[in-house]
Amino acid sequence: MASGKKKKIKNQNFFDYTLLFVVIFLIIFGLVMMYSSSTYDAASDHNGDSAFYLRRQLFATVLGVFVMAATILIDYHIWERFAFPGLLISFVLVILVLTPLGIEANGARRWIGIGPLSLQPAEVVKIEIILFCAVLINKVNKKYITTIKGMAAILLVPVIFALMLWKITSNLSSAIIVAGIAVVMLFVADSDYSKYIIAALLVIALAAIVIYVATHWEGDSFRLKRIETWLDPESDPSDKGFQTLQALYAIGSGGIFGKGLGASMQKLGFLPEAQNDMIFSIICEELGLFGALAVILLFVLLIWRCMVIANNAKDLFGAMLVVGVMAHFAIQVILNIAVVTNTMPNTGISLPFISYGGTSEMFLMAEIGLVLNVSRQIRLRDAM
Amino acid sequence: MRSSKVRPVHSRKIDTENEKKGKRFSLKMQKKLVVLFMAVLLAFVTLSVRLIMINKENGENYKKQILSQQTYDSKTLPYKRGDILDAQGSKLAYSEKVYNLVVDSKMILQSKDALEPTLAALDACFHVDIEEMRKYIVDHPSSQYYVVLKQLSYEEIAPFQEMQNNKKEYPNIKGVWFEEEYRRVYPYGSLACDAIGFTTADNVGAFGLEEYYNDVLNGTNGREYGYLAEGSNLERTTKAAKDGKIIVSTIDANIQGIVEKYIAQWNHEHEGENAYRAGELGSYNTGVIVMDPRNGEILAMAGYPAFDLNNPRSLSGNGLYTSEEIGAMDNDAYYEALNELWRNFCISDTFELGSTAKSLTIAAALDSGCINGTEQYYCSGVYEVSGHKIKCNRRIGHDMLSVSGALEQSCNVALMQIGQSMGADLFMEYISNFNMGLKTNIDLAGEARTDTLVYDPANMVASDLAISTFGQGYNATMIQMAAAFCSVINGGYYYQPHMVKEIRNPDGSTVEKIDGRVLKQTISESTSQTMRGYLANVCSIGTGNHAVPAGYLIGGKTGTAEMYPRKTGNYVVSFIGFAPIDDPQVVVYVVIDRPNVQEQPYSSFAQEIAKNIFTEILPYLQIFRTEEISEEDEQHLIDLGIIPGKVGETPEDEEGEGGEGEEPEEGGENEAPPLETDPETGYVKDPNTGQWLYPDTYEPVDPTASCLDGIGAMVDENANPVMGEGSLRQ
Repeated sequence: MASGKKKKIKNQNFFDYTLLFVVIFLIIFGLVMMYSSSTYDAASDHNGDSAFYLRRQLFATVLGVFVMAATILIDYHIWERFAFPGLLISFVLVILVLTPLGIEANGARRWIGIGPLSLQPAEVVKIEIILFCAVLINKVNKKYITTIKGMAAILLVPVIFALMLWKITSNLSSAIIVAGIAVVMLFVADSDYSKYIIAALLVIALAAIVIYVATHWEGDSFRLKRIETWLDPESDPSDKGFQTLQALYAIGSGGIFGKGLGASMQKLGFLPEAQNDMIFSIICEELGLFGALAVILLFVLLIWRCMVIANNAKDLFGAMLVVGVMAHFAIQVILNIAVVTNTMPNTGISLPFISYGGTSEMFLMAEIGLVLNVSRQIRLRDAM
Repeated sequence: MRSSKVRPVHSRKIDTENEKKGKRFSLKMQKKLVVLFMAVLLAFVTLSVRLIMINKENGENYKKQILSQQTYDSKTLPYKRGDILDAQGSKLAYSEKVYNLVVDSKMILQSKDALEPTLAALDACFHVDIEEMRKYIVDHPSSQYYVVLKQLSYEEIAPFQEMQNNKKEYPNIKGVWFEEEYRRVYPYGSLACDAIGFTTADNVGAFGLEEYYNDVLNGTNGREYGYLAEGSNLERTTKAAKDGKIIVSTIDANIQGIVEKYIAQWNHEHEGENAYRAGELGSYNTGVIVMDPRNGEILAMAGYPAFDLNNPRSLSGNGLYTSEEIGAMDNDAYYEALNELWRNFCISDTFELGSTAKSLTIAAALDSGCINGTEQYYCSGVYEVSGHKIKCNRRIGHDMLSVSGALEQSCNVALMQIGQSMGADLFMEYISNFNMGLKTNIDLAGEARTDTLVYDPANMVASDLAISTFGQGYNATMIQMAAAFCSVINGGYYYQPHMVKEIRNPDGSTVEKIDGRVLKQTISESTSQTMRGYLANVCSIGTGNHAVPAGYLIGGKTGTAEMYPRKTGNYVVSFIGFAPIDDPQVVVYVVIDRPNVQEQPYSSFAQEIAKNIFTEILPYLQIFRTEEISEEDEQHLIDLGIIPGKVGETPEDEEGEGGEGEEPEEGGENEAPPLETDPETGYVKDPNTGQWLYPDTYEPVDPTASCLDGIGAMVDENANPVMGEGSLRQ
């Protein structure tokens, strides 16, 4: 955090090294943890090649370094003009999943691939929605946003994309993230609180009703079943309940300092998706509560830096971009840890920079690049 | 990196310009962002608390859960069941390592190119239906344990293992492994099947030694398992299997083989379409016990028909049933037939002993002092006891007989009088001292209980005592009679009969030696000596002369017991004998249950088998001939390989001893009579029809005629179902 108390550095520009180093640390730590948790699966699924997932992730990370460097250097105002064409590109990419270019894996069609490269359109949609909402909020009148009409205007496109992601790629978690990013950005831009508080209360009430129905209704529904499993994972130790239980076993068995890096037993074929959505439980098992809280702290640090940068951004557009990225990170980390600790029902959400996933890694680095570019344009005089 | 580009210094003027161009992130928004950050922080704090709670509340429990899941590399190492050796150290039963072929579909399907090469290799090495296997593997992709073939020998799996290990040529054989197991092998097949018994799956012994010594023969499974050492490192440990102990039986495979050979020979001669009961075996059962009277060791124990221990669930192969009969059986009938086949006749079936029990009666009378051996008894052919006219086996009577003569001629009338001189209480005291009514507790599974099959002296009436003296009325098993008889001739020592003389560790070291155990003294040494003389007379000048092997003097007693219900012409014929007469070293007891002939009550059937057995086992036991032998006998012994043949002499074709046994035997005191006479009953045989005739009137004998008109026996069907089954009844 810079403090512009000395006149000497008045003419210098700010650069948020804290954020950069937090991100670099998270990326490297993520690679180590991802390697640790994926070796067993990689070796058994890919002919003994225990570094299979690591290599792919490294490749995406190297690409990501270039993308991040570019976004750090390129003035973020340039992206403003890509907001609307970006919508079209995102739309086409999501639709492409349905064509033969689409790749199906683990029973879901979420990727498109050309040759050896594959891409998850949902990640493109996320960054595009951040850009689009920032541009839109920057464009419209401040007063207009507070009206229901204004809210609807801003939320319309994100909701359409969220529905597309949910229905076409059956990726509910990405849909929630996309909608969540838009709502958070709107919340920050809107001067009103009451609507959001009411909405939040409504959501809580709805959740309570659903839980009540799920526990008292005697019928057979896939979604209600999932909620039942959530409330009592031991009632269905196979399938989804199995994954949740195994994650809890991993967390509970770690203790304060864990079993040591690489010493997880749950990754040895017991915990499905150990290197992916469930990687946080492996961190808990290997590094203990200490490691888990340290990781949480790193994300808090990252989000705090985003807040500081947004609050000191040169203009509304830059600030809203940072808010969008901040919302993205916050939502994804919170939901991931909530799922792993069985605080909410199981939906597949990955942990930024740590879970396996090349597209996600690359685009998250691009987002950080954007934030850093915004930070670069802060005039130290203005910084708090 | 800090940008080195020099940017224009922003002045307040430019700021206002900026504000015109782009909107500022207002203070209100900044505050809202802080609120948002606080909310996020709150969420993180909540989640952190949740993490801590999970650790605190369930940490220990979850640690255990994880450890309990670590079973993936634990493997059972099977133990080897102990061998059963015969007295000379030959293996009667042993366990051999075999291999089950197991296919792991999951592992095969995990790599893309493994399925076809693996199937091809299996096809090349084993006789398996490859199409069916492919179907199974594809249909059950998560199956990890599918047993394709069972109990393959090492030779059978060796070629495949070679292919598996040859990674260069066959890199893609995956997901096939061999599970080790042991298979019980009985190298002699059906030899001593009743005595040895067999094992079912998982090494559970059934019948015989296998059942009785099941716990001794079985060991403990070992285990190879992984566990988590300090630092959660997976370590492997092998806890070796503990093999079972070896038991050394008293059974001598050579003697057992001789015994079974002659049982089979006699039965073959009396079976088939030309036999009296056309199409049936030579007898319902033929049991033989060869025992050492000096220590109670059982040298051979055989029943008939036999079954193959390596394939105990087969009913075919012993002539008992035709394949059509087997096909017609339902499951219950099949297992009933099998159980009938598996039972050990010598210890599980009870019957009325018949005249062999006369040796016990006379020994008891002599020992108690009720007679002194000088008495004379008159036999008119019938004796009246409390209104019952009980006939002698020789209807025309024996006239005057001494005590020895009564035994020699097997006279019922004399025995009844001897019994009367003893009285029921004393008689029964001796009978129970001979262990009648009690188990011998021989170390074999399935010995019948006979406690309800003997008389209670308090309830005995005169006729009960009368028929008991000649072995009717009460039931016993063969092993009871053999053990009791041993005590009559060995000086009065009742040895518990036993089948195992030594238990060894798998490495061969001795754990326990089991010597003869004297349970009681039944009669005195001197009574025993007198009895040896009497019993020797039975074989030299009495009814037992058909049992005498060439060149030896033996003692013994014949027996013909009428079965219950009476007057159906069904008899159990028997002979129990010993040699040498002055120092008994071996007792042979032969019982034939309902010989397959029109007229059953002739102990000569049993004597024939006993004689053949004696002929071969006495030289084997190094008991040397004491008597002269005729040339005919010599030739017979040469044929049997017992004595060396004369150079240049071809063995002549001889019927001789292998014949029906009704013809008069060799030399001795027996002059060949003009008509063939049955030594026990005194009937003569019509040379033309083969019909037995009364020697005085030459009237044909009624084969269903009974000595025991109107007298019951201890066959109480309701008394004890197990025992009831064991009693021989028609």
